[in-house]
Amino acid sequence: MSENYKFDTLSLHAGHIPDKETGSRAVPIYQTTSYVFNSTEEAASLYNMEVGGHLYTRISNPTVAALEQRLAALEGGASALACSSGMAAMHLVVSAICSSGDHIVASSKMYGANINLLQHTMPRFGVKTDFVNPNDPDAIKRAIKPNTKLVFGEVIGNPGLDIMDVPEIAKICNSKNIPLVLDATFNTPYLMQPFKYGANIIVHSLTKWLGGHGIAMGGAVVNGGNFDWGDKDKFPTISGPHFALGGISFWEEFGPSALIAKIRAEGMYNFGPSLSPTNAFHLMQGIETLPLRMKKHIENTHSILDFLVNHEMVEWVKHPDLDTHPDHEVAKRILPKGSGSIIAFGIKGGREAGKAFIESVQLASHLANVGDAKTLLIHPGSTTHSHLSSEAMKEGGLTDDMIRLSVGLEDINDIKKDFERGFKAVKKLNK
Amino acid sequence: MIINFKGVKTYIGTGGKSLDINKMTLCFLHGSGQNHLSFIQQARFFAYKGYSVIVPDMPAHGFSDGNPCKSIKENAEWINDLLVDLKLKEVVVIGHSQGCLVALELNRILKRSLEALIFVAGSNEIPVNQFLLDLSKENSQKASQMMVTWGHGIDGDMSINKWPGHSHYGEGNNIMCMNKPTALRYDLHSCNDYSDGIDAAKIIKVPALAVLAKNDQMTPLKSGLKFVELIKNCETHILDCGHFLPSERPIELNSIINSFLSKLK
Repeated sequence: MSENYKFDTLSLHAGHIPDKETGSRAVPIYQTTSYVFNSTEEAASLYNMEVGGHLYTRISNPTVAALEQRLAALEGGASALACSSGMAAMHLVVSAICSSGDHIVASSKMYGANINLLQHTMPRFGVKTDFVNPNDPDAIKRAIKPNTKLVFGEVIGNPGLDIMDVPEIAKICNSKNIPLVLDATFNTPYLMQPFKYGANIIVHSLTKWLGGHGIAMGGAVVNGGNFDWGDKDKFPTISGPHFALGGISFWEEFGPSALIAKIRAEGMYNFGPSLSPTNAFHLMQGIETLPLRMKKHIENTHSILDFLVNHEMVEWVKHPDLDTHPDHEVAKRILPKGSGSIIAFGIKGGREAGKAFIESVQLASHLANVGDAKTLLIHPGSTTHSHLSSEAMKEGGLTDDMIRLSVGLEDINDIKKDFERGFKAVKKLNK
Repeated sequence: MIINFKGVKTYIGTGGKSLDINKMTLCFLHGSGQNHLSFIQQARFFAYKGYSVIVPDMPAHGFSDGNPCKSIKENAEWINDLLVDLKLKEVVVIGHSQGCLVALELNRILKRSLEALIFVAGSNEIPVNQFLLDLSKENSQKASQMMVTWGHGIDGDMSINKWPGHSHYGEGNNIMCMNKPTALRYDLHSCNDYSDGIDAAKIIKVPALAVLAKNDQMTPLKSGLKFVELIKNCETHILDCGHFLPSERPIELNSIINSFLSKLK
């Protein structure tokens, strides 16, 4: 065939063709924990990783595999692994690559849970992280030590919306033979495919735009297959002998897919953050319309930006597509279709004004999620990032009055009308 | 395992088991621009079935250093010397694509007999179009991408894979990128220039198996069927997939090879 299908087509089809037995057009939900082996020999083959297949849903499942293969196709990766959440994906990557005594360089402007994992949880297991400004390539270069095993950042920072200069950082990582791991949740492969810019590993929260409807949790690791893990001293967990499977070296036996093989054999096997097949099905339904939704998300975002920038009640607005954003030029270069549908803004009147606004809008939902088809709002200072110290908040570009807006797909005039309702309440408060 | 062969670092996949020269050895020969990873789902499978397995990365391919061989004959001589160096006793050679041409030539120049020959997506000739030959010189990465796209059947297009989560295209491109940039160019020229396939096929005396692919656009089925006609009593199977048969239909291919090998014992 060799059709080399395009993004919109892959969003609908990749990972599944109707099976000959049932002809089911949709991806079937294989709601099963386990799979009958035809022989003891076949069972042994699967356990020994001699051939591909499914042996237990904690490790892999046909519905989940269809999702994984769709993600690998959309990102242009060698392989992918889906799991229970974006945070599970993040932990699977860190624990697959790092051991006690290792070091990570990470962006200081990230989602609170990403920071928590690296700042508080991983040090208890002997893995330390230095946080640096993602917009300062020299700082990243300086922070890299001989025991640094990965550099981590978010393409679009949450919630500060800083844009990482991926090609620049990738060059640094490449010269030091360190994998660049990116959380690409906010951009999705529709807006930007990080492997094309030199990144090596992508983590996603599928719960957000990829799933897109706020109905199913999920995460994924996508492996670019473009990193050389051959240095056994530096990456013993990938290229050295594994504790099981006859001392397998994942790098020697799986090459470009070594990381995913390692995660499946250890992370999924030992920690077990598997994705439910039903959630995989829901997430795939979302991905089918990803290109259409992202286009509308960006259209609505640009319209709302215009509305907020010119609104008398708005103190400030932050979005990388605005030329006032410090990373606007980087955004134009690596995110030409748009820099996502999250907007940060402050309302005149500070913290109390923000509170009044959030409590007065009706259409926009006040909740802890982003990337839903519906418009969402939250006050990060008192919720998602509340456990961070004031210094860490400041370092992450957060202010007390900041509202994080996730622009949905509603009629744009209805969103604006809803916001006017909120601004009216603020006006009353300010009087 | 890594050995020093002819003064050059040479990688040989063994399917996760130590090489035992007293067992029957299956020697897998990769195709143009490929390396040992094109047999991911064969190497471990057969090593765990009690065979010794060797999947050498030809010079300048995969984890092997050195300069690429410049003809099918040079490839065959290199393999011949390797088999002697490793002191292997009973050897079955399994070639994929270009590896089939190398296997044909190896059988012709070998001083002793092989146990059997297995041809996967093979033919007695593999002409390469001029555009791809030129592209492999100018930009081996683009040429690799073209081969990966062109070489796979619908499973490649649709990202269908027996190995959960793996992408034929993504994995295939990166496997080819592991080789030295000149490797593909010399491989493709070696295939294009090889013209002794008919004679080499006719002199095969050992048991032979051919597994061909219905939607093969690199060594078309028509060419593969003509090829097997040249070989005396060649057991032939056709699978519904593209040229990258070892990764597109691993279970079926392994089963056919396993059954063929069991008849040799």
